[in-house]
Amino acid sequence: MFFNSLAFAIFLPIVFFLYWFVFNKTKSTQNALLIVASYYFYSCWDWRFLFLLVFSTFLDYFTGIQIEKSNSEKKRKFWFWLSILVNLGFLGIFKYYNFFAISFAEMFTSFGFKVSPFLLNVILPVGISFYTFHGLSYVIDIYYKRIKAEYNFIDYSLFVSYFPLLVAGPIERATHLLPELKEKREFNLDKAKEGVCQIVWGLVKKVVIADTCAVYANAIFDYYPSMNSLSLIVGAVYFAFQIYGDFSGYSDIALGVSKLFGLDLLRNFNYPYFSRDIAEFWRRWHISLSSWFRDYLYIPLGGSKGGLWMKIRNTFIIFIVSGFWHGANWTYIVWGFINAVYFLPLLLSNSNRNNMDSITLKWNLDSLKVLFSILTTFLLTCVAWVFFRARTITDAVLYLKRIFTNGEFSPQYLDNERYNYELILMIGLFVLVEWNNRTKVEPISGRRSMLKMALAIMAIIAFGTYSDYKEFIYFQF
Amino acid sequence: MKKFLLYILGIFLLTVLIAVILDGFYTYVFMQSRNRGKIETVFNSTAKKYDVVILGSSRANNHFVSQMFEDKGLKTFNYGMSGGHLFEASLMLKLMIERKYEIKNVILEADLNLASDHQAEGIAALFLPYIHNSEIIKERYKNESNFNELYYIPFYRYVKYDGKIGWRETFFTLIHKKTNSLDNLGYHPLEKHKNGNMKNNIVNLNPLPNNKYYEEIKSICKKNNINFIPVMTPMCENVVGMNYFDKVKKAYRNSQL
Repeated sequence: MFFNSLAFAIFLPIVFFLYWFVFNKTKSTQNALLIVASYYFYSCWDWRFLFLLVFSTFLDYFTGIQIEKSNSEKKRKFWFWLSILVNLGFLGIFKYYNFFAISFAEMFTSFGFKVSPFLLNVILPVGISFYTFHGLSYVIDIYYKRIKAEYNFIDYSLFVSYFPLLVAGPIERATHLLPELKEKREFNLDKAKEGVCQIVWGLVKKVVIADTCAVYANAIFDYYPSMNSLSLIVGAVYFAFQIYGDFSGYSDIALGVSKLFGLDLLRNFNYPYFSRDIAEFWRRWHISLSSWFRDYLYIPLGGSKGGLWMKIRNTFIIFIVSGFWHGANWTYIVWGFINAVYFLPLLLSNSNRNNMDSITLKWNLDSLKVLFSILTTFLLTCVAWVFFRARTITDAVLYLKRIFTNGEFSPQYLDNERYNYELILMIGLFVLVEWNNRTKVEPISGRRSMLKMALAIMAIIAFGTYSDYKEFIYFQF
Repeated sequence: MKKFLLYILGIFLLTVLIAVILDGFYTYVFMQSRNRGKIETVFNSTAKKYDVVILGSSRANNHFVSQMFEDKGLKTFNYGMSGGHLFEASLMLKLMIERKYEIKNVILEADLNLASDHQAEGIAALFLPYIHNSEIIKERYKNESNFNELYYIPFYRYVKYDGKIGWRETFFTLIHKKTNSLDNLGYHPLEKHKNGNMKNNIVNLNPLPNNKYYEEIKSICKKNNINFIPVMTPMCENVVGMNYFDKVKKAYRNSQL
């Protein structure tokens, strides 16, 4: 059930109605309804993996309590590592086993040993990377005594399985979401209206920007050896907007839907393409994952303590792991590595926290510098996205090489009967709207809300792409 | 809560209103179209006289050189449509009759398309802007499973087939951007391809014994005193399953094919 599907358009009002009109007596009834709705939502993908979700939920619930109850450090450690290993074990088997098996086989083959690896014929359970990370953060926080264990199984289950964030995040923290789930939610008109605006804007990002860009980006990436320099450049830009519209659109819908139920989720995107350096980009892009890796990997590894070398080592580790989290492919690892390399000059010059303030532009030279740094950061991210999108590292390298060696900049006609540049105007308009509303969560609410809502609806109806794309990219992670 | 429900109702009504306005606008634009494709050209035309009208799929579109007929003094147009089935060929002929075309001969390419009596979505979608303005089109789609959505939900047909009749096509129609589909009297020569080598496998393809749209075209011609000439077109020798043509001959042994 996609957020942009008719099934979800029916599912959501039904759950909303039941939530506020039938199961609104206590927080327990509210939570119980959301759990049932979440499990139904998940089973629409593949009901068999529901058992995995329930098992993972039960494991973390149980080990969390055992960690808290244990009176010896040895027992605490036992339950802690049991949870970590089982969670990562599932992730490893379903997501990474085949990748490692093939990679090792290729390595042995290159040394002259012929190996036929045993491969698993399994599909990746939707959202496994997301709900595993929910569970991990919960258990780690209990182990380090940052939070108390949750004894109410329904409340804990909802924290892990809450349907808006179940399949593609944001990756919530127990410290943030669980306290909200412990209180009965009262309907708040302003919050609900904000939620509707955010859902509509999320749909604009998904069906107007991401899915339309996907049509063009795929036509260019799939046939890159026959594309000229101009096509390859715009192809990378289209993919940058495809993945942004797709993922941030999903996050906006998830946050908007939650507001309808009186819940606030963590913000996941904060206009990342207006970042002035790569450090700022990572403070604005997939915020819940970046902060997860910061808190549960970077800091435990020593963070920035221990000198520059440790800082650099830890930065490379979290970026490479973050890349690998996205998928079992060398392209994602290289993507993470490239981002770490981008980070390096900032670390060396100790300027990774230079751009913490909000961006303001005036008619002066400084503003020109800001614009230049935004553009440079965007171009750097586009180069990295080529690795993220390409099938193999070789494809990505050849794609980038061809940009510089082809040297032709004439408009090209693509296989899908479109010219390569036709979408530029729409992207330009989208950037302008986002720029003018960069201090807000979304551009629709506020003054003249109904007019902006009408324009957004018109954009969704008239300019959305419906025949080609539906799936959200991050569902595969 | 009451205020919120009213707010949602307002958004719903706004959405319907926008859909109705867009539907009207898009349809109006398509109704003015005359140089984009064969379907709108026929739909928006008045009575024409032809000695020869060629119908069929890309195999008709790419094989019949209208100019050769013209050189013999026969007024001809190639209405073959790439990707089209007999569903659309029959509908096209009906539209021509509705517009009082006077046609002496119809050459129908009937070979691979005899294996299907379904619509070809890509081509069929191009008829949809006119579904409210033509009884012929409405009648043809009435038996399709998604007729109610396409006919009654405002703008739905433009959303569903956005790749064919969406904003992009509407915009080009609005600015009268010409396509090449009407050039060469409808004949579209295939460009020479360096590695051109059609290797289709049609072993499992079987002609339907009494393709209803083939029969329909035949009866329309008979009813309107049009000389009906069904033909099979040549196939690249690398295609696997050439005995398909024997299967057609067998299934249509009483026909003129």
